[in-house]
Amino acid sequence: MRFIDVVIRQAHPGPEVPAYDTFEQKLHDAERYRREEAIPWPVLVDDLEGTVHQAYGGLADPTYLIDRDGRVAYYNMWTHAPTLHRALTALMRQGGRGVVMDGIDHVPHMLAAMTDGWKGIRRGLPQSLVELELASPGMGIGLWLGHRLRPVLAPLTLRARPLPTSARVGLAAAAVLAVTLAIRRARRG
Amino acid sequence: MTTTPTAAERFATRPEAANVDEYNFDHFKLKHFLEDVRRTVRNRGIEPGELAPDFELVRAGGGRVRLSELRGTPVLLHFGSFT
Repeated sequence: MRFIDVVIRQAHPGPEVPAYDTFEQKLHDAERYRREEAIPWPVLVDDLEGTVHQAYGGLADPTYLIDRDGRVAYYNMWTHAPTLHRALTALMRQGGRGVVMDGIDHVPHMLAAMTDGWKGIRRGLPQSLVELELASPGMGIGLWLGHRLRPVLAPLTLRARPLPTSARVGLAAAAVLAVTLAIRRARRG
Repeated sequence: MTTTPTAAERFATRPEAANVDEYNFDHFKLKHFLEDVRRTVRNRGIEPGELAPDFELVRAGGGRVRLSELRGTPVLLHFGSFT
């Protein structure tokens, strides 16, 4: 199993991190990215035109699982570790070859992004936050909140493996209980 | 025998290929957000089972990596932005 990261364009430019004009700027950021995120596997740099990113569809924060023969076995947007873990386990079970879990994950896994996305936005402040809020009101503030609540959220939203069934049942029961109590309180009030 | 398409070959067929400034936008706008959402929902960029477009890219810290040289073992390929 090999991991590869490819650094693409600035998704949320800012005064300190403007859109790339040269390949050297991109390479410089890739080195910082590798260092600051402590990435132990190869961090590669796409060209200025985004040739590789766009050849793979130009998606936001995607991860592709490629099988032993070099074919696309599965991919998802908004990279979600537990789902990828399931896909990888399924791929290994079928000898490392072929398509798994229907090949494409259509779920927008925003919870993980909300807990972990502030790192990128923080580098482009204040422009990155203002522009994100204008494009999708609430999301920038949501990222900041997610970052502040990270110690509480991370065990649920940044898991490497799927949540055990017992924990899912427990969370669902807690949610139903909370809603029931809220409705009762509202009726009494 | 199918040969791996190179990333450059696939890229050339995409409508976005023409404009490098459009790709490297100076400001994140509503249209970029909507485009991300549209691609997440429709995502026909690449078909499962298709050969992954091959590429050789510069590696941060030195050297180069070619995807097709990693055949024989599964690869998890992530695309990420510094911001």
